[in-house]
Amino acid sequence: MSKPGSKYHKLCIGTDLSKLQEIRDYITSASKRFGFEDSEAQNIALAVDEACTNLIKYSFKFDDSKKICISIETAKKEFCVNITDNGDPFNPLIVPTPDMNEYFRNMKPGGLGILIMRSVMDDITYLSSTENNEHNILKLKKYLV
Amino acid sequence: MNEPEKFKLNLKTVEDVDCLYLWGYLDAHTAPQLESAISKSLGNGTYKILVNFRELDYISSAGLGVFMAFIEEIRDKGGDIKLTNMKPKVFSIFDLLGFPLLFDIEAEDKSALEKFSFNLNKNNE
Repeated sequence: MSKPGSKYHKLCIGTDLSKLQEIRDYITSASKRFGFEDSEAQNIALAVDEACTNLIKYSFKFDDSKKICISIETAKKEFCVNITDNGDPFNPLIVPTPDMNEYFRNMKPGGLGILIMRSVMDDITYLSSTENNEHNILKLKKYLV
Repeated sequence: MNEPEKFKLNLKTVEDVDCLYLWGYLDAHTAPQLESAISKSLGNGTYKILVNFRELDYISSAGLGVFMAFIEEIRDKGGDIKLTNMKPKVFSIFDLLGFPLLFDIEAEDKSALEKFSFNLNKNNE
């Protein structure tokens, strides 16, 4: 969650895929302000887009009562995007990533989003909702070098 | 107030090739428009598809997935999807996943159209 006084505000959306552009703009702008180059900022925004798309399509199943909130935490060289949601737990880290040679041989779409997230981010963690915490949290981290 | 348009697609037919010109952002929201355009070409019996990316600023896996969804059927029919005029920032996303190995990515329409006329595709080069 963004702490009071944080220079990054929190952005919340429902199940509307048309909000993906707003999310990307928010992440691109925040990551550039933190010091990332354009190409790195684009990659971070792409990873967040993929995470939110997966939630809306596979976890929320377009249920309007579900919501995603995105906030940013920073510490020294670390830029962390927290994606919290109240949908069914969907842990991208346990989804097998496709072997691209096999993938191209079979030519079947799907499963690329998680591979993109893993390729462009330095660290990804996932916390499922519990009795005490109704939200799932996906943390996508990228270090400024 | 209407939201600003995020994606546009124009079709131009050059001989037996359907050329699709993309503009804007191709993501999970807008990818279905590209999907229907390619479906329409296939429905009309056109299996030579050129996709021009000159005005495209962004693609996510939803956009990449559209090409994956059709490429096998198209090549089975002797056609191809050739991609042209990609900005470096869009090419970098294709490159991240190794897509240049599977798809023919040309600098310009001219070379893609020439290859179509010689009936070449990535499979038989």
